[in-house]
Amino acid sequence: MSRRIVNVLIRALITLLMVMILNFVLFRIVPGDPGQLLLSGARGGATQEQITGLRQRWGLDRPLFPDQVTDYVSATFRGDLGYSFKFRGERVGDLLLKRLPATIGLVGLAQLVAIVCGVMLGLYVGWRRGSAIDKIATGLSLALYSTPAFWLGMVLVVVFSTSLGWLPGYGISSPGLANVGPLGWLIERIRHLLLPALTMAFALIGQYVVVARAAMSDVVTEDYMITARAKGLTSRQMLMRHAFRNAMLPVATLVTLNLGYVVAGAITVESVFAWPGIGSLTVEALNARDYPVLQGIFLLLGVSIIAANLIADLTYGLLDPRVRQ
Amino acid sequence: MIKSSEALAPLLDVDSLSVDYISKGVPLRAIEQVSFSLAAGEAVALVGESGSGKTTTAMSIAGLLPPTAKVSGGDVSYRGKRLPIDDDEAMRPHRWSEISVVFQGAMNALNPVHRVLKQIAEPCILKLGMSQSEATARARELLELVGIPADRGSAFPHELSGGMRQRVMIAMALACRPSIIVGDEPTTALDVITQAQILKLLGKLRSELNLGLILITHDLSVVAESCDRAMIMYAGRIVEDGLVDDIFNEPKHPYTKLLIESIPNPAKGKQILRPITGDPPTLHNRPSGCAFRSRCPSAIQVCATEVPRLDLSVQGRVACHLHRYSTQVQRVGSDA
Amino acid sequence: MTDSATEVHGRRRLHATRTFLLQFIEKRGAQLGLLALAFFIVMAAMPNRLVGPLQTAITATGIPLVPPSREQFLGTDEIGRDVLNLVVHGARISLTIALIATVISLIVGTTVGILAGYYRGRVDVWLMRLTDFFFIVPPFVLALVIAPVFVEVVGRGGEILGFRPSLFVIILVIGLTSWGFVARIVRSQTLSLRERTFVDRARVVGSNDLFIMVQHILPNLVPQIAANGALVVANAIYVETALSFLCLGDPLQPSWGTMLYLAQHAGAASAGAWWYLGAPGACVLIVSLSFVLIGNALDDTANPRRRVIP
Repeated sequence: MSRRIVNVLIRALITLLMVMILNFVLFRIVPGDPGQLLLSGARGGATQEQITGLRQRWGLDRPLFPDQVTDYVSATFRGDLGYSFKFRGERVGDLLLKRLPATIGLVGLAQLVAIVCGVMLGLYVGWRRGSAIDKIATGLSLALYSTPAFWLGMVLVVVFSTSLGWLPGYGISSPGLANVGPLGWLIERIRHLLLPALTMAFALIGQYVVVARAAMSDVVTEDYMITARAKGLTSRQMLMRHAFRNAMLPVATLVTLNLGYVVAGAITVESVFAWPGIGSLTVEALNARDYPVLQGIFLLLGVSIIAANLIADLTYGLLDPRVRQ
Repeated sequence: MIKSSEALAPLLDVDSLSVDYISKGVPLRAIEQVSFSLAAGEAVALVGESGSGKTTTAMSIAGLLPPTAKVSGGDVSYRGKRLPIDDDEAMRPHRWSEISVVFQGAMNALNPVHRVLKQIAEPCILKLGMSQSEATARARELLELVGIPADRGSAFPHELSGGMRQRVMIAMALACRPSIIVGDEPTTALDVITQAQILKLLGKLRSELNLGLILITHDLSVVAESCDRAMIMYAGRIVEDGLVDDIFNEPKHPYTKLLIESIPNPAKGKQILRPITGDPPTLHNRPSGCAFRSRCPSAIQVCATEVPRLDLSVQGRVACHLHRYSTQVQRVGSDA
Repeated sequence: MTDSATEVHGRRRLHATRTFLLQFIEKRGAQLGLLALAFFIVMAAMPNRLVGPLQTAITATGIPLVPPSREQFLGTDEIGRDVLNLVVHGARISLTIALIATVISLIVGTTVGILAGYYRGRVDVWLMRLTDFFFIVPPFVLALVIAPVFVEVVGRGGEILGFRPSLFVIILVIGLTSWGFVARIVRSQTLSLRERTFVDRARVVGSNDLFIMVQHILPNLVPQIAANGALVVANAIYVETALSFLCLGDPLQPSWGTMLYLAQHAGAASAGAWWYLGAPGACVLIVSLSFVLIGNALDDTANPRRRVIP
């Protein structure tokens, strides 16, 4: 395996380790007795015995280092992420798995729309830089990039749900929907998906337009484009055979990196739309100070982001021959 | 336009070409009244400092002027037929198959993500309609012709040395069997030895394929070995042109003289190098009259008011008031 | 009497700065951004002068959730407070948090970047591994995880440096999580600056490392840091707004983000109270966009793109 790949892998591992360290440390610097925290919602209060018993069960009375650390690391690698405070008795891992599909569906769809539309638009205005449509597209992209996604969502709800009444403003399905058949079920799902997906797509499209445009306009000034023109290629041939491939290099990297942020990207938007995914779980856990769940989510985020960065690093060599060894 | 037989028409005829660049709505004259012709098998050098107009002239011939450029006068004709150099669409069929360009290979003139063979084969496929296999075979031939083993064709540009990249550019330029090759400073970024190799290659190809060669350079020493004629340009005009030997042995224009004197000559033993003082004018601030007068050691009064015309002299042409007066004086003298 | 080298140097630096600023001002993005920003800075500087003291539940005089009218230019919230009043006061909170947090980020990021780029070797490797973490994890997510813990640790009462603890925590947290981006860029610039001859000259003369880094390398980094700094501010505004939206802010010193939280929880969206949620969000958008435009203009001035040469 080449030196470069080994380096990249080591870096990823170190970053992962730092994620885990942060998780470990954070939970333990929170003031107050974790035992008490765990039982804070119990009816009638908890007795000292119950608190002590819980601490024993959770291994919180053992020395911090090395016992708690090794327990933590081994448990994590086994997939045991602990139990939720708020959702009594539920394993964090199960909770995450239950909520993951909704998030992936939402953000995945939004990313797809944003990538396809954003990249095409960006490449086009990069090719025709300075034109009227370039100015409009760039202005809009910058504005969308600067807009908080969740606020955009709220605005869309006011417009399309409250005022126009076309689409539902929250949730993944409406209550009281019995016996509508598979088509009706599908339509309902789509209706609920539309506003949050649109919100996220708008929030994400800006960066694709900006990056694709910058990439294309850099390529356009390169010498090999003059060579292509000298060879008698048509504008179209120059674009497709020479410009496109080179402009896509930074774009492909961006797309790969953003895959990692799929899980992280929707926290506030899911909150606005009460979308039952990881994002809203994060907010719920935050409000309930449900640390095991927060840790689990952070670990999940960390792993997916690191994995995406890793893939981007490794595959860049495939696209750009100058980087291959 | 007299339709004389194309065999009599020169390969390339540039007639009083003037080109402007439009900058912020204001036209700036890049080249003024440039005229010369090129025959098959001939190699002509365009020599000058930056801003002299040599690149603009060459790019005009290849039909590669940028959109900000405008032809304000004159014509370029190829084999007797006028070239539509200001019309990008109309120029396209002429590109590469009649006139091709060899750029500085050291820079990014080759696409970094395509293999070399593919780039050479590309115009064969797109312009000559060859199939993939035919074009690849021709590309391999061309590589051998320029002295690169055909197997190296699967390399990417960054995997080749500067000299090899330059050869690839030459191979690529020959792909559609052009009659004229324009070399845009093809050896500038190379070391002296590689430079010599490339020039030798160009010379060999020129005679084997009867190509017309136009070489842009700021380096007179390159010209000496490889070209038949040279045209010295200054501030957008031709100030002297003639056979290379004549120019080197008997330069007439003060600028040419200074250029030649500034070349270090090991044969002459120890000498003090005399660079030309001052800087060449930019497009914005060309002086009135003769543009060279502010740096000319022999400027006279008329140089400030009148632009010298490019007149025929005994060998070649020169644009200098001094020369005009001296020949007039000569003629007067011989009549008496 | 010839000037000393230091005097000439100082004059030249002043001239270079002037040229830079003049080029920067000429760009339209910079003009728009600065204009909009000036408007909000005025708002943040003297809220009491403009709209009177911050309205509270007690001093609120309007009817709840009333659309914009002549008395209340931006309508009212769910307890009858004037939205315009809240927005103007919110400007100070949002801007201050973002700016102070950015300063922290810039200090940390620049220090890490210069040290890594200058010393290279093992220092570089370890600093960059650390930076990787802060660069890869989105500042918002990191802040989200850290902030509640810090808030618990710091407690809720009293004031720290004029800010309520939760806001103080937010400033610290945003500042300490957003520096990765700056560190990377500073490092790569330092790496290339380090190779320049003036650094060698300084070393030959006997200047120590710290002197070189501060007096020679740092001034050359300023344009780039400024350009990136503007983008960091825009990001900081977003993170603060989002964190406050998730109730990590302080309702007694409401920023625009906190207003959005209150609006959401008052059901503004479904009640159609567009003025209540529109005003603070629009402010965030405009201020953020201004900084992005300014940052882009600074970047263009510092690194002019290659023009097509005729």
